Amino acid sequence: MSKPIFELVDELPTGGITVMSLRSLDFAVPGQWQNLVGFNNTIKAVTGETDEALIQQIGERAVQLFNDKSQGYQNALWLYQTVDSASGALGAAAMANKVGQDISFLGFLQNLTPKPEKAQSIDLCVKLVVELVAFCQINGIPGDSIGDFLAALGDYSGESLMRMAALVCFDGLVPLGPDFALKGLSTLNTMSPNDLEHNTTFKGVKSLIPGGDSAGQLSFITSSMDSVKGWMTDFVSSRGLTPEQVVDNLTKFVEISKDKLDYLGAFLDMTSNYYTHTGTQTLARRLIERAVAEI
Amino acid sequence: MPIFQRWRSVLLSVCLCGLLLISSGCATKPPSPYAQVQQESTQRGAPKAVAKTATQGSEFNRFFPKPGNGFERVYTQEKKGFAEAKLKKDGKDMAMLSISDTSSVPTAAQKYAQSTEKIAGFPTVEVGTTQTGVLVGSHYQVKVLSRNPAFVKSDRKAWIAKFDLQGLSKLR
Repeated sequence: MSKPIFELVDELPTGGITVMSLRSLDFAVPGQWQNLVGFNNTIKAVTGETDEALIQQIGERAVQLFNDKSQGYQNALWLYQTVDSASGALGAAAMANKVGQDISFLGFLQNLTPKPEKAQSIDLCVKLVVELVAFCQINGIPGDSIGDFLAALGDYSGESLMRMAALVCFDGLVPLGPDFALKGLSTLNTMSPNDLEHNTTFKGVKSLIPGGDSAGQLSFITSSMDSVKGWMTDFVSSRGLTPEQVVDNLTKFVEISKDKLDYLGAFLDMTSNYYTHTGTQTLARRLIERAVAEI
Repeated sequence: MPIFQRWRSVLLSVCLCGLLLISSGCATKPPSPYAQVQQESTQRGAPKAVAKTATQGSEFNRFFPKPGNGFERVYTQEKKGFAEAKLKKDGKDMAMLSISDTSSVPTAAQKYAQSTEKIAGFPTVEVGTTQTGVLVGSHYQVKVLSRNPAFVKSDRKAWIAKFDLQGLSKLR
């Protein structure tokens, strides 16, 4: 049983590493993300309505929709939360040892090992697939053609676009370099279903990834990655994004030393949960859009 | 009253006041305005949010207005009992277009009993300040919802009329 959706949205943080690291990406997707928090606030912002009784009515319908498990909204939330916690699990274990000790940030970094490139590549691809699956759980498969569906995917804006920016920058560009999409794809092409099964991030979300067994899931992930690699590389080139730029901006918001770049990906993995944060925002928005139209 | 006893009672009231302050400070948050619906929709045997018999959203797509005149139509949601598309112009969100099956939300259909106006022969109502709806075949609700101040009530009415309302009224 999930926490009530209104509590999740009311409790979204307005500060901390997740929020600050996302704010640092504003240069990549200017003005797209305002960190909208609070359930009623979100209703007002999404619908433009101000009447309290009407807002209550919209909110109640959104709560009902979320609580109906057959509607897929809880699956989507679970995916966002699980992919965050699974990819950060390694780091979280290291962090748990340090709880209660007064350590400087850099001291903490020394105990972190950057993830091997292969694990990082798999993480990137699994997170991308999670986005695709969560999208379908929330929105269904809109329209009557593959073109309609791609248009729905292409219409990403606001917190959804910010989530993709973070995926590209924090899980692609910074840890893997400018050719991250190709690296991800070639890793997938050379790996066995068995390799995939040993990846922590994949293990976390495996039950909701289409494809049946691990072999089928590997091929689903590979073809998904293949079909969006163009979008990803275009996202980077059209905005002229470089790893240095991402790090430069990040250091303005989050205290981090540039010579520890190797550890940056691992650090963000464990300290930020941007999938959960922006995923909750996306979910709330879609629930509210449906609720206001249905009442 | 001996001074000692006075002190005792003063001390006692100070303690009591303190206790009151602490307990009110620590008191739990007021219940959420959504606590009741949360309880009702999660208890055993709670009614589903979407009726079993509701029409699949994919059935609705073909009744949506065609894009044109600089307007772009992007389908955004397609769930059981619901389909929605976004209307964009020059890259900006202008409105949402939706069709829903009111069998899941009977009150949605009931509000049209008060309707005094019609669009293309179907009863219409205004909801809040951003929504215009019609009830089609006493079963399906078609709504246009403004998402931009430039998209006003008359635009909403015009776009509602562009749905294939007759076709939708024959859907079973």
